[in-house]
Amino acid sequence: MRDKFSRHDGAGRGDVILWIFGLALLYLLWNSGFFTAAAWQDFNRRFYQNFVKDKRYMMLVDGLKSTIFMTSGATLIGVAVGLILSVIRVAYKGGVPIPLLNKFAEFYITVLRGTPAMVQLLIWNFTIFASARDLNTQYIAILAFGLNSGAYVAEIFRGGIESIDPGQMEAARSLGLSYGQSMRYVILPQALRNVVPMLFNEFIALLKETSIAGYIGIDDLTRAGQNIQALTLEHSQPLVMVAIIYLVIVLFLTRLVRKLEEWLSRGRR
Amino acid sequence: MAIIEVKDLHKTFIRQDGTKLEVLRGISTEINKGEKISVIGPSGSGKSTFLRCLNRIEEPTSGVINFKGEDITSPKCDINLVRRKMCMVFQHFYLYPHLTVRKNLTLSPVLLKLMTPDEADAKARELLARVGLADKIDEWPDRLSGGQKQRVAIARALAMNPDVLLFDEPTSALDPEMIGEVLDVMKELADSGMTMYLVTHEMGFAHKISDRVLFIDKGVISEEGTPDEVFDDPKQPRTKEFLSKVLRR
Repeated sequence: MRDKFSRHDGAGRGDVILWIFGLALLYLLWNSGFFTAAAWQDFNRRFYQNFVKDKRYMMLVDGLKSTIFMTSGATLIGVAVGLILSVIRVAYKGGVPIPLLNKFAEFYITVLRGTPAMVQLLIWNFTIFASARDLNTQYIAILAFGLNSGAYVAEIFRGGIESIDPGQMEAARSLGLSYGQSMRYVILPQALRNVVPMLFNEFIALLKETSIAGYIGIDDLTRAGQNIQALTLEHSQPLVMVAIIYLVIVLFLTRLVRKLEEWLSRGRR
Repeated sequence: MAIIEVKDLHKTFIRQDGTKLEVLRGISTEINKGEKISVIGPSGSGKSTFLRCLNRIEEPTSGVINFKGEDITSPKCDINLVRRKMCMVFQHFYLYPHLTVRKNLTLSPVLLKLMTPDEADAKARELLARVGLADKIDEWPDRLSGGQKQRVAIARALAMNPDVLLFDEPTSALDPEMIGEVLDVMKELADSGMTMYLVTHEMGFAHKISDRVLFIDKGVISEEGTPDEVFDDPKQPRTKEFLSKVLRR
C-alpha cells in the first residue's frame, strides 16, 4: 500500500498539470502568431528601442548600481543596529541592569516592524530630512532601509544568541571572562554562524525592498525600467527585463549563501 | 589556612509560578590549599548548586564565601578576578565549538592578558601533553570523543593556572568506557597537589583521592569526614541508606 504521506503522488499530479498548461500556452501563442518571423522582428525592434538605442541599457546598469549601493549600505546599518539591539535585549534578560535601553530596543523593534517600510521611507524623506535638500537622497534611503532592516535583524540575532547553550556563557564566565568578552568571543561567533543563512535572506529581501526607492526620486533598477517605459512608451519589455535582473541576482546570492553555509559548518560532524 | 571558607550559604530559587525552592539551607565548610574534597549526595540535594555558588555562576541568596581572605559575595568584589583563580569543569564540557582545541585553551589567558600568545601556546601544548591529547591541538571539539572533550576541558581550566578547580560531575555525561581516562587525568592532578572540589557519583574514585567527603542532603551537609569515616562507617541513617543504594551495585 502506498504511504499516504508520499510526496511522489502530489508532485506527479502537479507535473502533469504543469505540462498541460505549458502545452496549452504554447498552442495559444502559436495561434496568435507569436512564432512568426514578423513577431520576431517586432520583438527585436522593440528590444533595440528599449535597451540598445542611445545606450539605454546604461540606465539599467546605473539603476542596478544604485540598487546594490543602497542594499549594501542598508545591510551594513541593519546588521550593526540589529546586533546592538539584540545584545541589549539579551543582556537585559541575562541580568545586566539596563532597563531603559531595553525599553528603547523593544519600542524601536515594535514601531519599525509594525509600520510599512514604504511609509517609513516617505517619512524619512519628506518629514525628517525635508529641509536637507542638498543631501543625496540615496543616503536617506540607505538610512531608512537600514534602520528598518535593523529591527528584523535584531530578532534574527536574538534567536541566534538564545539558541546557544547557556552552558557556553557559564563556561566562559567561569574562566574569568567578563560578560562582554564572553558575548564577543564565545556567544556571538556561534550565534552568527547559526544566523548567516537568515541574514543573507534578509539581505535578499532588502534587495527587493529597495525597489520602492523610486517613490522618493531615486533612479534605482525598478525606476530605471519605468524611465525606459516613459521614453519608449513600451509597457512590457523594460519591466520584464528588470524582473529578470532581480531574479538572476537573487539566485546568485542564494547559491552564495549555500556555499557560505558549507564553509561555516567546517569542523562540525 | 583555608583557601575557601563558606559560612551559612543559602540559595533559594524562585520558580516561574512564584513559589520558592530552598536548595541550600545553610552550608558552612572550608577547604585548605592542596585539599581534595568530594561532595556526594542524592540528586536534587543541592550539591551542584553548592559548587556553582562557590564561583557565583549561581548567585547565593545569603551567606559568606571567603576566597583567600576576600569576601567574594560582597558587591565590591570583582568576581571576574576570582574566577581566574577558581576554574570550573562541567558535566557537559562546554568546549567552545567554534574554536580549535588550541584556541579553547588560549582564549582566556590571552584575552585577559595573563600570557602572551606565545606563552599561552606553549602552555597549551604542555597541558595537552599532560592530559594525553598532544596530537589533538588543532582539532575541532566536535571531532573529539566525550572523554577527550572532558580532558580538553580540564586542560582549558588548568591553562588559567588556577588555585582551585571545581569539578561538577565531570564523568556523569560520559560513556562508561571513557570514564577511566578522565579519572586518570584527575588522579594525576590530585597527586600534583591541586586543590579540588569534586561533585561526583564515582564513589570509588571519591574514596581514593579525597581528603574529606561531604554528604549533602536536602541542602545541608548532613555528614562530613575522611573517606574511610563516611564510606565505611557512616553515622547518619540517611548517609547509610544512600551509600547502601549506590554501593550495592
